[in-house]
Amino acid sequence: MPLDTSTYSLAHLRLDGRRWNELRRLSASISTSGSADGSSYLEQGNTKILCTITGPQEQKQGGARRESNEAKVEVEINVAAFSGVDRKRRARGDRRSVEMQHTIATAFQGVLFTHLYPHSTVVITLHVLSQDGSLLACCLNAATLALIDAGIPMSDYVSACTVASSPTSSEGDGVDATDPLLDLNGVEEQELAFLTIGTSGEEGKVLVLVMETRCRVERLEGMMAVGLEGCGRIRGMLDGVVREHGGKVLEARVG
Amino acid sequence: MAPYTTIPLSPAELSYLHTSLSQTPPIRPDGRSPTQFRPLVAETDILPSTNGSARICFPDGTEAIVGVKAEVERSKQENNGSTSEVHLKRDRRMEQQNEDMEDRDANEGKGREGWVELAIEIPGMRDDDALPIFLSAMLTEALLADQGLKDALYINTRFHWRLYIDILLLSLPLSYPLPLLSQTTHLALLSTRLPALVSEQDEDPLFNDDWEASTYLYPKSNPSQTAQRKPPITLLVMAVGETILFDPSADELAVADAVVALSVTQSTAGLKLIALRTIDPPSRLTSGGIPNALNTTPVAAGAQQTALSSNEALKLRENDQGRSVWRPPRGGVKRVVLSRMIKAVVEEDGVGGEVMQGLANVET
Repeated sequence: MPLDTSTYSLAHLRLDGRRWNELRRLSASISTSGSADGSSYLEQGNTKILCTITGPQEQKQGGARRESNEAKVEVEINVAAFSGVDRKRRARGDRRSVEMQHTIATAFQGVLFTHLYPHSTVVITLHVLSQDGSLLACCLNAATLALIDAGIPMSDYVSACTVASSPTSSEGDGVDATDPLLDLNGVEEQELAFLTIGTSGEEGKVLVLVMETRCRVERLEGMMAVGLEGCGRIRGMLDGVVREHGGKVLEARVG
Repeated sequence: MAPYTTIPLSPAELSYLHTSLSQTPPIRPDGRSPTQFRPLVAETDILPSTNGSARICFPDGTEAIVGVKAEVERSKQENNGSTSEVHLKRDRRMEQQNEDMEDRDANEGKGREGWVELAIEIPGMRDDDALPIFLSAMLTEALLADQGLKDALYINTRFHWRLYIDILLLSLPLSYPLPLLSQTTHLALLSTRLPALVSEQDEDPLFNDDWEASTYLYPKSNPSQTAQRKPPITLLVMAVGETILFDPSADELAVADAVVALSVTQSTAGLKLIALRTIDPPSRLTSGGIPNALNTTPVAAGAQQTALSSNEALKLRENDQGRSVWRPPRGGVKRVVLSRMIKAVVEEDGVGGEVMQGLANVET
């Protein structure tokens, strides 16, 4: 089995050769689509997400007119049928997608300066091209980059990652013998208890914390500490991508 | 209504465009020749979890990604005992030829239409809207016209491959998305590979684990082989009077007299036309300009304004026939123009061959 005790304790290496605190290869680019207001493409290992932003735009006419002094953030997640190992067409309104959409929308509602755009809507569309674990985390990272490309002011980057409670699904060994694992891939996510943590700002203010599986409560603090550190590193990488793009744009303008 | 049908051009601009496109030679807004295509960005094999994938970006910002996946499925048992025919055709002569050729001859006629499934996703549209359904029907029809594709999916009498082609349009359709989706599908199918079969005849299928040993769904050209199967391609052609234009932009479509979708495929004797469909041009949705004689705004103080009855106004418009002001086009397309369109695509060094060659070069 993928992560049974014997193989991990030998060299403390996971299936793909990473150690407990190593992130997968993260590569991202912004402004990938010319027709959208903002766009980005993010790859974390084999999870590939493309994000486009339309907005801020006028509220749609249908339904009751929302009286508000803030922009509303709407999220749409579109999982491609060819993204997983098996080909599977997902219905639009299925429970998992709706929950993820709500989580992402709430996270950005707090971070974006929505008071600058009253009575308008910002629509975030996420296309999942390939899934291999850490889906919610990658969606948050991709959306951050796309929103920066769209030029919508926000207080800081939102960076997210996943953390597992231990390398094995059995809790046979003592609690101190195992480390939390950072940045899980698809196989690890199915086997282990994990949480997704999303933070904003250099001091690591937690915006998103989602856990669907169960683990012992004393392990939670350790997992969050590892997660916060991972998010900080991802934030640095996202910042690097934005600065690099900015440099290219400046060079093109100034020559 | 789809975004590409909202045309933000005034009757004066439409009339200007129509006149410039009717000249000989036609003057297109971006200065292209009638058979010149806009540059595009194309890449293949971008998704490692699929059997084949491709992405094409057009310069107006529209982008599409196609992923092809294949799964082994149990075949429905049919009553005609065809196993004996399979043995007869396995001739020693055939073994010397390309392995694919042998399979194809042995499996001729065994493919079924239900083995290919195509799905289109357009953001902002539900799956049961008219546009996705119509587009998927057109693309599927062109694909299934080639029996060779269906035969390539045959494994043995009990199992076959089921091919899933998922098309994702990543941006709102700013212009009619058919050529983009068709070219991306073509590219994805060219790069699609199926695992190499290791088991024999009717036993449970077993495949070679080595991906390098996999075979292409549309085999690459072999010097000894004359016939090379290729996936079909659908091109959009428009007509303005007697002029035909290829790869029309959104502006040009807004003044088209007729728009036609042509599906062609490669056959032993060059390109073959599979389907020809007329598309309702968005120019029919524009509103006509008002001729000066019907202008009811007072021009100068003291000028006499004679109000025309509705019958007289209609007669005036009809006699004008769109000469002085823009009028949405009426009627169909002449047969001569249609045959010129077909010829331009299918002929020896025609547009169809050029597009196929261009896409084949993306692979290498």
